[in-house]
Amino acid sequence: MAIKKTVTNNDIARAIYLYTKDKTGTHLKESLQNVIKFLVRQRLLSKSKEILELLNKIINKEEGIVSAKVSSVEKLNSKTSEGLIHFLKKRYEAKDVVFEEKLDSGLLGGLRVEVNDEVMDLTMKNKIGQLQEYLKRI
Amino acid sequence: MSNHIVENLRKEIEDFSSQIKAEKVGHVLEVFDGIAKVSGLSDIKSSEMVTFPHGETGVALNLEEDTVGVIILDDFTKIQEGDEVKATGKILEIPISDNIIGRVVNALGVPIDGKGVIKSDKTYPIEKVAPGVVTRLSVSEPVATGIKVIDAIIPIGRGQRELIIGDRQTGKTAIAIDTILNQKGQNLICIYVSIGQKDSKLRKLQTRLEEGGAMAYTVIVSAGASLPAPLLYIAPYTGVAIAEYFMDQGKDVLIIYDDLSKHAVAYREISLLLRRPPGREAFPGDVFYLHSRLLERACRRNKEYGGGSITALPIIETQAGDVTAYIPTNVISITDGQIFLETDLFYKGIRPAVNVGLSVSRVGSSAQIKAMKKVAGTLKLDLAQYRELEAFAQFGSDLDDATKKQLERGKRAVEILKQPQYAPVKIENQVVTLYALTKGYMDDIPVEKIKEFEESLVGYAEQHAKKFYKEISETKIWTDAGEAELKKTIENFKSSFKPL
Repeated sequence: MAIKKTVTNNDIARAIYLYTKDKTGTHLKESLQNVIKFLVRQRLLSKSKEILELLNKIINKEEGIVSAKVSSVEKLNSKTSEGLIHFLKKRYEAKDVVFEEKLDSGLLGGLRVEVNDEVMDLTMKNKIGQLQEYLKRI
Repeated sequence: MSNHIVENLRKEIEDFSSQIKAEKVGHVLEVFDGIAKVSGLSDIKSSEMVTFPHGETGVALNLEEDTVGVIILDDFTKIQEGDEVKATGKILEIPISDNIIGRVVNALGVPIDGKGVIKSDKTYPIEKVAPGVVTRLSVSEPVATGIKVIDAIIPIGRGQRELIIGDRQTGKTAIAIDTILNQKGQNLICIYVSIGQKDSKLRKLQTRLEEGGAMAYTVIVSAGASLPAPLLYIAPYTGVAIAEYFMDQGKDVLIIYDDLSKHAVAYREISLLLRRPPGREAFPGDVFYLHSRLLERACRRNKEYGGGSITALPIIETQAGDVTAYIPTNVISITDGQIFLETDLFYKGIRPAVNVGLSVSRVGSSAQIKAMKKVAGTLKLDLAQYRELEAFAQFGSDLDDATKKQLERGKRAVEILKQPQYAPVKIENQVVTLYALTKGYMDDIPVEKIKEFEESLVGYAEQHAKKFYKEISETKIWTDAGEAELKKTIENFKSSFKPL
C-alpha cells in the first residue's frame, strides 16, 4: 500500500506553477480556470490567499526576481535606490529587483530592507537600541 | 565627579561600533500557553535561541515546512500575533562564572535571590553531548552522604547517578539535603535543581542550607510550580551546564534534580501543545531520551581530559509505590542504582525509610572506603535475613537459638540505621558503630538502649582510639593494628557502660 502523504500548500503552489509555466493566451486562461476548478473541488478556496503568496514566492525564485520591502523616513533618491538595487542583485544573484517602498518617520533615519525572511536594519532607531544594550552591559 | 562620568560615557560611546548584519526574522502566527507558532525563520536550527520584540527569549523546538514551534522562556503575555521574531544563530546558553556559588538562579541563570547581578564573562550551552568513552574513568571515590544506611549499604561514588525514588512524604528531599549538608570541607560543589516545587518549600530549604553553612558551596537552580512548562523543561539542563562549568575546572560536583517526574510532566505538556503524537501515559516518544541525555552528562573524567566529576542524584516521585510506571522504569534503567523509600517504613518510624532489599548501587561499592567495606560487608545480608525471619517470628516462640540470635541482631541493625534529619554522621563514627554491631558487641544491649549506647560509644572512641581515627580519616585503609585498637576500645567502653 502506498504511503499517504499530506499535500501542503507549498506543494499545490508548486504544482500550479509547473502547470501554467510555459503557457500563454487562451491556454493560460484555460489552465487557470482548471486550477480554480481544482481548488473548488478540493475545498481549498479558503487557503487561496496563502497559496497565492507561496506561488508568488516560487515565481520570484524561479525567475530570479527579488522582492524587497524598503522602509525609510524619506523617499529614496535615485542614487541610493540604484546602489541598493546593485547590492541586492549581487547578494541574491537576482536578475531583477522589485521594490515596495514604505515611509516611516519612527525609524529616525537610515534604511530597513526586508527580503523574504531576511532583514537588514540600517536605521538610526536600531543603532540607538544597540548602543543602549551595549551601555547597559558595561 | 559628573565630568568624570560624562568623560567615561563619551569614551564608551566612541568605542562602540554597531554591527550591521542581515538577520533572519519571522512573524508570530499564534501564541498560547508558552508556545508560539512562527512563520519565516527559514534557516533556523533545532534548539536555536530566538528573541521577541520585548526582549523575551524563546527556543525553536518544532521545525516544520512553513512554521516553527517556539517555546517561550519568559512572560508570554505581551507577545502578540504579527510580532517580529529574530533568530540569534546561537543554541540556548546561560551566563556563568565562579560567582554563581551561593546564589539562587532561575532556569536561564538569572539570579532571583535579590542579591544583585552575577558578573559573568562566559556562557555555557545548556544542551551538550555527553562526554565520550575515552574521556571517562570508572567510579572509585566516594561521596560521603553522612547517612549511615546509604554509606554502608548503598554507597555512592563520584560520577555515579543514583536515583532516589519513593512516594510523596517519604523523605526523598531530606536525603538530598542531608547529603548537601555533609559536604562541608569535602571539595564537592553542590547544585540543587528544583523543578516544579512550591516556592515556600524552596525558601525553607534555602534557609536550612544557609543555617548549615552549606550555601558556601551550593548553587540553587529554581523553576517553581508557578512558572510555565518551558522553564521547568530547561531547568535541569541549566543545572548540568553549571555543573559542567565547574567540572571543566577539574572540580567534583554533586547535582540533585528534584524532581524528574515533574520535569517529564512539563515536557509532556510542551509536546502535546506542539501537537507531537502522544504515547504511553500521553508522554511523547522521546521522553526516554529527555532523561538519558541529561543523566549521561554525569560522569567522572580522567586526568588527561581535565579530571573532575558530576555525580547526579535524580529524584522520582511514585504514585502509591508503583515503580513500574513509565517514568520510574525509564529512570531506573538509566541510573546506576536506586535508593527506594517506602511509606510503610516511614510510618513505622524507620527513618530514612530506605527499603534495603530493593535499593541497590551498581557501581558504588568500588568507591566505598576499605574500612567501611570491611564492616558493612555482611550488613545487607543480615538485614535481608532479618526481614525474612521477621514474618515467621510472629507465629510463635518455637524458634531455635540461631534464628533468635539473627532476629535480635536484625532488630539492633534496624535501630542503628535509624537517623534523624539534619544529623549527618562522620564516616569514622559510622565505621565504629557498624563494627560494634556486626561483631556482636551490641547483642546483649536492650534494643531501646541501642541509641544511647551508640552515642556514648562514639564519644568514647573518639577520645580513646585516636590512632584508629587518624588512620581512617587520612589513609582510609583498615589495618590489623587499627582493628586491635578499636576492639580494645569497644571492650573497655562496654565494661564501663551503664545505661541510664
